Amino acid sequence: MSKYLDKSIVEINELLKKKAIRPIDLVEEAFARIEENKDLNCFITLNKEEALEEAKKLENVEVDNLLFGIPIAIKDNISTKDLRTTCASKMLENYVPIYDATVVQKIKDKHMIMIGKTNMDEFAMGSTSRTSYFDPPKNPWNREKITGGSSGGSAACISARIVPFALGSDTGGSIRQPASYTGIVGMKPTYGRISRYGLVAFASSLDQIGPMTRNVYENALLLNSLVGRDAHDLTSVPREEEDFTRLIGKDIRGMKIGVPNYFLSDIVSKEILDQTNEMIHLLREKGATVEFIDIDYIENAVTLYQIIAMGEASSNLARFDGVRFGYSTENPESVEDLYRKTRKEGFGKEVKRRIMVGSYLLSGDNAVTYYNKALQIRDDIRKSFQKAFETYDLIIGPTTTTVAYNLDQDIDDPIKSFLDDVLVIPVNMAGLPGMNVPIGFNKDHMPIGMHIIGNSFEEAKMYQLASFIEKELDLNLVPGGDACE
Amino acid sequence: MNKEYQVTAGTEVHCELKSNTKMFSDSYNNYGTFANTNINEIDFAYPGTLPTVNAYAVELALKAALALNCKINKKMHFDRKNYFYPDLPKGYQITQARSPIGVDGYLEIEVDGVIKKIGIHDIHIEEDTCKSTHYKDKSFLDFNRNGVPLIEIVSEPDLKSDKETVAYLEKLRETLLYLDVSDCKIEEGSMRCDVNVSVSKTEKLGTRTETKNVGSISSAGMVVMAEAKRQVEELERGREIREETRRYDEKTNQTILMRVKEVGNDYRYFPEPDIPFLVLEDDYIEKVKENLEILPDERRKLYLEKGISLVNANKLIQNKQLSDFLLGMEDIDLVIASNLLLGDISAYLNKTEKNLEDTKLTKERFSDLVEKLSKKEITNKVFKDILVELMETDLTVQKIIESKGIETISDESSLREIVNHIIEENSESVQDYKSGRDRAIKYLMGQIMKETKGSANPSLVNQLLIEELSKR
Repeated sequence: MSKYLDKSIVEINELLKKKAIRPIDLVEEAFARIEENKDLNCFITLNKEEALEEAKKLENVEVDNLLFGIPIAIKDNISTKDLRTTCASKMLENYVPIYDATVVQKIKDKHMIMIGKTNMDEFAMGSTSRTSYFDPPKNPWNREKITGGSSGGSAACISARIVPFALGSDTGGSIRQPASYTGIVGMKPTYGRISRYGLVAFASSLDQIGPMTRNVYENALLLNSLVGRDAHDLTSVPREEEDFTRLIGKDIRGMKIGVPNYFLSDIVSKEILDQTNEMIHLLREKGATVEFIDIDYIENAVTLYQIIAMGEASSNLARFDGVRFGYSTENPESVEDLYRKTRKEGFGKEVKRRIMVGSYLLSGDNAVTYYNKALQIRDDIRKSFQKAFETYDLIIGPTTTTVAYNLDQDIDDPIKSFLDDVLVIPVNMAGLPGMNVPIGFNKDHMPIGMHIIGNSFEEAKMYQLASFIEKELDLNLVPGGDACE
Repeated sequence: MNKEYQVTAGTEVHCELKSNTKMFSDSYNNYGTFANTNINEIDFAYPGTLPTVNAYAVELALKAALALNCKINKKMHFDRKNYFYPDLPKGYQITQARSPIGVDGYLEIEVDGVIKKIGIHDIHIEEDTCKSTHYKDKSFLDFNRNGVPLIEIVSEPDLKSDKETVAYLEKLRETLLYLDVSDCKIEEGSMRCDVNVSVSKTEKLGTRTETKNVGSISSAGMVVMAEAKRQVEELERGREIREETRRYDEKTNQTILMRVKEVGNDYRYFPEPDIPFLVLEDDYIEKVKENLEILPDERRKLYLEKGISLVNANKLIQNKQLSDFLLGMEDIDLVIASNLLLGDISAYLNKTEKNLEDTKLTKERFSDLVEKLSKKEITNKVFKDILVELMETDLTVQKIIESKGIETISDESSLREIVNHIIEENSESVQDYKSGRDRAIKYLMGQIMKETKGSANPSLVNQLLIEELSKR
């Protein structure tokens, strides 16, 4: 089998331009790799016929950009016209959207080729992808382990080198945490950077789409094509066009980096603490200043997240009522019965739990006691981060408290799933950009990641540090790859 | 009714805004089109869709808020009102619960010669629901109405009688019509009234009931009476009034219980996270304010000052196209102008089923006409003769008269000849004039007009008659 997909995007682009390969070679290779890695359960729906057809069409189109003809996987909570979009839920098992999300339109404009829709936690609610109605994806580094979540399928298909590009979404760490567990690069951009139009809403004020890739440069490259103000999304922010790769390769000497003490507290496992401390040592050695700081209320972020995310989710998921699309119970006795049974049968346990808690949190006086209060403290967290960024260029820490654990561990512990995201959630609360970059492995050779947090709209600076680390460490990040161990 | 009780009423009025597109999506806002044709993925609440905000609808709401003397929330946001119902595709309605566009306003009404201010609690923007129709065991949903922009105008409980309620609603409707904010058609549902009524023997207001979707403004008055009567009877029987929702049955003139309000109905309001705060800049508010239509009260005042009768003034106001036509023509004789518009011109419009704007009558030619009539250069009869040409051609008044062969005889010598001829033929009238009877002049005038087929310049005839009579 050909191995074009192991090459860098720049190399593939050269080959395409020289007509040494055709887009269809890449697409066929991607589907061969999917077949080879079927047990990973990365995909819920494949777009094979359409992808092959699109690849053929592209043979007569000029190769006009670096992303041209590259296969990409899309998380299954992003609306794709005429391509089933399930949100990993029975509720949408047979739902085929009539419109493309704005990001999907952008991808099509670049002539990228959609390979399929990736597995995830049901409606992105979870941190292990185990709440998927279609069974969880598996970690390419160890098939007994979770991929993390909710963008677990996207993370696994990048990690296993099935495709070079994937889209994820991140409400409370759902790009960065699985990126860390699977040893890939994942970016959650600043809230408002990328249009949410067509992203099935979980928690509207936190959700953000982002790129998941094999390396830092390609991540920045994909982000370039996703951003921009969208008239369909009033929360998207107009910014001047910029090249997110522009600082890649620049020296980090003199860079000021803050590390919140909370990120190095005893909530983090020793093997990850050690690895992070090594990184801090390295960065100092290379001329960066690294100092320890405090961010107010950061330790409350998970609680605030639960209130805000579940409150918003309870409202966002009200539209799944069996009337217009998606699952609808058979022979209901009344409208009330239709709602009750459709939602009882169509949603999984975790989704129903969050809807119920969210509804409770917004009920009567609770809205003031909990939701409004949470919004206030959230603003304080944002201000505290802002203050830190007056002094520091970037903030770093570990992305997760542990490495990926076993698929059967803590399966019935609803609280555990939030604690997996304790280090990544504060970033969503503050609306800031955050990314994972792999920094090594534990003794069982499971990936460990570092979390880089930037000030609003400073993704380019984050890529600068991430690419520096990537180059310094030069890790072999291919699971079971030749150079492994 | 028992005089010991004071009736108190307040209203909640929903009006559909006259925007081209919906409040939160760009599909058409178009009443009367085939069911489920004005819809898109947003109206259908497809997963992943997001609302946008219709700036023109916000402007219309702002106009209404300004005209109702409200304080404007310059930094406003939208909220979600969550509940399940098949006519509500998102499972929540986007509305304004915490920062309505306008608060603390008032509207002045006049009842039996007394002017009173009725408080406006707030006016907020929201979206309409689907229209549902039920047939046998089936329900049908028309999404055309879903997402149509609405304003809800909530009054204070300041209405103390059926008359005040009717006067308030009429004034509200008149105001919104003048602002061109809504077409306020109750029968088409573009204006919907809920009436809250309570009775009490003391200063403290009694428990109120809400009567939904009252079918007309006059019915709202009936509701106040009927519901107050029922409540008093209940109280006199020693029963309590419950908070409940009722409807009005016009045939029996009674309100009928629909449902008892649940305690703490829970809509789980929270700020709509998909729409950022909307800031209305001072300059913008000022601009909208400056461009507000001249409201009926101001127009009425002008008409009365210019000598138009109250009846005619009100008629003009009820017919906005006529009233608008007079804008900018305040210097002409408005009495003559209003008589023409309400009389022959209205008759012509009715007969031909036209709007004034569909005719060729321009303000320039109309003021020329009024000028000529007031200077008595032409008679009313001439006006009647040229009416059709005036409405249907571009010709000037003068040109029409000439082309129709109607000549106004303004030539002094030929008129004097006719005057003398008539005087000679009516010698007894000359006697009458000499003995001081004024009607002699009128009679002679009539004879001259008859002779000239109404084409003589009346003021000139008058002058010549007096000259010639006094010579005899």
